[in-house]
Amino acid sequence: MSAFVEFKNVRKTYKTGEVEIHALRDASFEIEKGEFCVIVGASGAGKTTILNILGGMDTLTSGSVKLDGKEISTLGKKDLTAYRRYDIGFVFQFYNLVQNLTAKENVELAAQICKDPLDAEQVLKQVGLGERMKNFPAQLSGGEQQRVAIARALAKNPKLLLCDEPTGALDYNTGKAVLKLLQDTCRKNGMTVVVITHNSALAAMADRIITVKSGTVESMVLNKDIVDVEDIEW
Amino acid sequence: MTASALREIRSSFGRFMAILSIIALGVGFFTGVRITTPAMVNTVGGFMTDHELFDYRIISTLGWEDKDVDKLKEREDVRAAEGAYALDLLCLDEEGEEHVFKTHSLTDDVNRPDILEGRLPKDAGECVIDGKTAFKVGDKLTVSETENTEDALDGFKPRELTVVGRIYSPAYVHFERGTTSLGSGSVTGYIYLNEADFDMDVYTELYIKLDHELDVYSDEYKDYMSEREGSWEEAAEAQAQDRYERIVSEAEEELNSGREELDSAREEGRQELDSAREELDSAKEELDSAAEKLKEAEKEIADGEKEIADNEKKLSDAKAQLDNAGSTLASGKAQLDSGWVQLEAGRKELEKNEKALTDGEKELKTAQKQIDEGLAQIKTAEKQLDGQQKELEEQQTAFMKENGAYFEMIDMLPTEQEMQLNGAKAQFEQGLGQIEAARKELGQKKAELSAGQKELDGKKKELDTAKEKLSAGRAEYEKNLAAYYASAGQYESGRAQYNSGRAEYNSGKAQLEDGKSELEKGRREYEDGKAEYEDGKKKYEDGEQEYEDGLTEFDEEIADAEKELADGEQELRDLEAPDIFLLDRNTNIGYACFKNDSEIVAQVARVFPIFFILVAALVCMTTMSRMVEERRTLIGTLKALGYSERAIMRRFTFYAGSAAMIGCVLGYGVGTVLFPRVIWMTYKLMYIELDIKYLFDVKLAVIAAAVSLLCSVGAAWLSCRYELAETAAELMRPKAPKAGKRVLLEHVPFIWNRMKFLHKVSVRNIFRYKKRLFMMILGISGCTALLLTGFGIKDSVGDFAVVQYEEIVTADASVSYKAEDDGTVPAELSQKLGDIGADYACVYSASWDLVKKDLTKSMSVVAPEDFSQLEGSMNFIDTDGSKLTAPVGDEALVSVSVAERYNVKKGDEIELRDENMRTLHFTVKDIFDNHVYNYVFVSHDEVERQLGERADLNEMYVNFKSGKDVHEAQAEIGKLDSVTNVTLYEDFKKRMTDSMSSLDYVVLLVIVSAAGLAFIVLYNLTNINITEREREIATIKVLGFFKNETAAYVLRENIFLTALGIAVGLGLGVILHRFVMAQIVVDLVSFKVRILPRSYLFSIALTFLFNLAVNFFMESKLEKINMAESLKSVE
Repeated sequence: MSAFVEFKNVRKTYKTGEVEIHALRDASFEIEKGEFCVIVGASGAGKTTILNILGGMDTLTSGSVKLDGKEISTLGKKDLTAYRRYDIGFVFQFYNLVQNLTAKENVELAAQICKDPLDAEQVLKQVGLGERMKNFPAQLSGGEQQRVAIARALAKNPKLLLCDEPTGALDYNTGKAVLKLLQDTCRKNGMTVVVITHNSALAAMADRIITVKSGTVESMVLNKDIVDVEDIEW
Repeated sequence: MTASALREIRSSFGRFMAILSIIALGVGFFTGVRITTPAMVNTVGGFMTDHELFDYRIISTLGWEDKDVDKLKEREDVRAAEGAYALDLLCLDEEGEEHVFKTHSLTDDVNRPDILEGRLPKDAGECVIDGKTAFKVGDKLTVSETENTEDALDGFKPRELTVVGRIYSPAYVHFERGTTSLGSGSVTGYIYLNEADFDMDVYTELYIKLDHELDVYSDEYKDYMSEREGSWEEAAEAQAQDRYERIVSEAEEELNSGREELDSAREEGRQELDSAREELDSAKEELDSAAEKLKEAEKEIADGEKEIADNEKKLSDAKAQLDNAGSTLASGKAQLDSGWVQLEAGRKELEKNEKALTDGEKELKTAQKQIDEGLAQIKTAEKQLDGQQKELEEQQTAFMKENGAYFEMIDMLPTEQEMQLNGAKAQFEQGLGQIEAARKELGQKKAELSAGQKELDGKKKELDTAKEKLSAGRAEYEKNLAAYYASAGQYESGRAQYNSGRAEYNSGKAQLEDGKSELEKGRREYEDGKAEYEDGKKKYEDGEQEYEDGLTEFDEEIADAEKELADGEQELRDLEAPDIFLLDRNTNIGYACFKNDSEIVAQVARVFPIFFILVAALVCMTTMSRMVEERRTLIGTLKALGYSERAIMRRFTFYAGSAAMIGCVLGYGVGTVLFPRVIWMTYKLMYIELDIKYLFDVKLAVIAAAVSLLCSVGAAWLSCRYELAETAAELMRPKAPKAGKRVLLEHVPFIWNRMKFLHKVSVRNIFRYKKRLFMMILGISGCTALLLTGFGIKDSVGDFAVVQYEEIVTADASVSYKAEDDGTVPAELSQKLGDIGADYACVYSASWDLVKKDLTKSMSVVAPEDFSQLEGSMNFIDTDGSKLTAPVGDEALVSVSVAERYNVKKGDEIELRDENMRTLHFTVKDIFDNHVYNYVFVSHDEVERQLGERADLNEMYVNFKSGKDVHEAQAEIGKLDSVTNVTLYEDFKKRMTDSMSSLDYVVLLVIVSAAGLAFIVLYNLTNINITEREREIATIKVLGFFKNETAAYVLRENIFLTALGIAVGLGLGVILHRFVMAQIVVDLVSFKVRILPRSYLFSIALTFLFNLAVNFFMESKLEKINMAESLKSVE
């Protein structure tokens, strides 16, 4: 029985004219279902490439990527879109909310394209925005916006929640609250959550810590002493 | 800086092109439409100027002579002055078709023709012909001897014309050739001939070309002309007055000499008549005396006849007497003769009796003697017999003695001897018998003789008594003879008397015969004389008649001559100072029409381009502000680096300005070449077909450049200024995104709640960017409006003939004919129509001028015999579609074109005037829908009542049976002598529709422009929309929107906006169409201003099509958006 997420010898090469840039070289890791996984690495280490490939936004040059036993490295454009659509939930560093839609509508925007979406209002209540559902993004604080983004990702009822520096644009406390929300989601709903960050401090709260460096996986460790979000300092 | 500016252009080439093309389109359309009118005017006006189109055409009711021409030529501002002849001429072509030509004499320095083909005429009968007609060089024309007016035939020498050239005349730049009273009333074209081919006393018109080179229609020309108008009017008037005076004095002289001539002629005539009278009188006398003589002769003849009759009677009396006497004489003679005969017979009896007596006596004596002799003889005979007997008996005894032996042996003798013996024995026996017989005879004779003796004795006694009787008879005879002689003497004398009487009678008779023949001769002479007399009399009577005739003739002639003189005098008295007409170029159809028609484009040019400029400005504005926004960080950086605001601004103004300038040059180049060309293509069908001249208008080019720079650079400047107002630090921070907003529609839950989620998103997006919304709608609606106008023009202009001849004039044909003398339809025509099986309605139709205080305009006045018959041929429908009733009394129905163009309203009084200055007055009852020709329909009775004379019906609307070949019918009817023209409305419709089909080019031009507009606007705005929302789009892609869902997410807005734009555009289009149609004014035609549903559909469909094309383009652009964008920070 293989792991829930399986990254095996993944190689990604960008070609810019004559020059070949190897963004990833033989990167391999696994993530089990229901785990809270943190992928940590410095800028340019290749964590965004991993995110792009795992999120179905980019293709790989060689290797194999499996989610829940499904091979995605061979998927075509359309199947990749379907993969994003049904299996992946995305949380962006800059929230990427549609400015012209209210909080609830932003959630609905994602939900209405899924097979088995969660109720938008329910999810928003769950992320603690029961009162701000009808507000436009411009009327919400950064943390609130990120909560909406998380709600939008959760509403799709994905197999995997991918978060790209979810606290990158947030202040310390708000960031903590958002991380707490993600951790709670993982624990309470059994959602597999992958957080990509350059902040190694966050690793402490993860079940599994994958360290990326120079385009390859430097280490993958299962965290023995998981620290509560409140207790993490950075 | 320049390098970076060029790089900037390269890096955002699409945007650069957007600005460039919208400017090019705007400038192209603006300048193209603007330049069209001047270019057309330049082309046609230049032609007029080059070919010396007259400035004045002066017409006098008395005509002009060379003297007048020369006089006016002396004026200082004249370049050329020439007299010319003009008339309408009906000719037959080689197929025998009738054509009416406006026929002019060539002038050297005014209205010079442009030779397209061939040469100018040299010899008599050579002509150059209208280049708009289909006639070719070498074609022959025959001047009709029957159809032309006498004046025309008198004034025009050739009867055969040869086309030697095809020309355009500056006086006829329009295809309209006016009307004529000849033939069918339509003019085929014009011809020009040498002056020598005309034979008129005076020039019909006088052309003046002033010494200037001013542009036609220009204000300078207008001023130039109005400056001169007064003085020219005076000069023309004075010249006409001069001519009038010349005519008057000439006429007076003529009248005087005429009068003298008349007097001498009268005298002469009198004398002649008098001598004739004398002659006649003497002849009469002669005749009378001859008659008397004849009478006398007649009497003489009668006398002679009577005399002759008397004499004849006398003669016949005499003859009767003579005849009486003759017969008396004859009977006397007969008595005498019979007396004589008796006498002679008596005498002969006497002599006979005497002779008989003597004979008897002699006989008696002879008889005695005979008796005596006889007795003597007997005695001798007896003696002889005795002798003979004695002898015989002796012989016999002898014989017997000799031969008796033989007798015993007779049987033994030979036969011969036997016979001899038997003969001789018989002889003896016979002789003895004979003597015995003779003795017996002698005894008889002796008895006889004794009887004779006794008789003789009786006779002797008878003789003696006869002797006595005879002597008594003799005595009586002697007595009778004497008596006869006496009677004979008497008869002889009577006879002599008779003979002399007879002679007398004969001579009388001869005399009478002579008299008779003389009388006959006299009578013949008389007859001859009488005949002669009759002849003479007849001759005399003829002479008398001749004289009478001569007398009346003389009287009549004198009276005529006197009347003529009187008329001449009257005429002279009536001869008013001539009316003169100083006609400037505006009275020339071509000149005036071209002015109007070219104005149409100028009118259209006023609205359309504004639209394009507006759109161009807005497009520049959005594009540049978007660009400046995009380069916000750059601006901030540059500012932070210490670049001056101007330098930064220059970067953007250069970008916009260079795009605008290139666009402007391109647009100007293409627009000013293409538009005049395409529009002229349609116009030149109506005008002379010159090639359009390219016209470069500096002013227009400067305006175009200024406007495009203003749009682009201005927009760049405005946008920059707004951004530059912020500090560098602010600029380097991302601009806060525009907050989301609820739209009005969300407050209508009834609709909003029913909408699909993504549609709601689109709706909200649409109203998020008001500027873009506005521009989008403007661009799209402009496109739709243009399309709708284009199609609408085609509907209105292209189909007016269809409407006219399918809905209004529903007859199949119109037949012009010559009515019989009594005004009825010619029998051959009505019969032919009956044979064909056609219905018809007769009308009086003629050309009358509508007279208003400032204009006279030719109208077709139609007066139907009976309006109800027009049902099915001509439908009178109000402009709002309701049926109109027939006019009664002085009411008139007026066609809508007349009403609109000459401002005639319901209830107005109108005055109509014909060539002979007769007038008709009507009250406008209603205005009816009609698109071709200017019609006034009135009651026929009223026309005749107002004219006070008959106005013959001369045209009929004909409806053929369905299924009949109308062209065949046309030919059949056209063949009739009484038919002057047959027009098939079907042909008419086709011709008009064909001629208007050239509008397709204009429509195409509009469609292409509209497409360009729509494409540029949509492309540009969608482009801005997409780049602005790149992040959002990347995000939804990451969210897992499929390709078409993503496209729909963005482009749905386009579709919605297009729909909105179309809705607005349809409204705008209707208004624009109406405006454009109001500018298009074509004489005799009023368009059916309408847009067919089809055109709405086409406009909508085409706009959508453009939209789809843009969307298709954009989809690939969306495809290219990288999802990684979503991970980037906000700029």
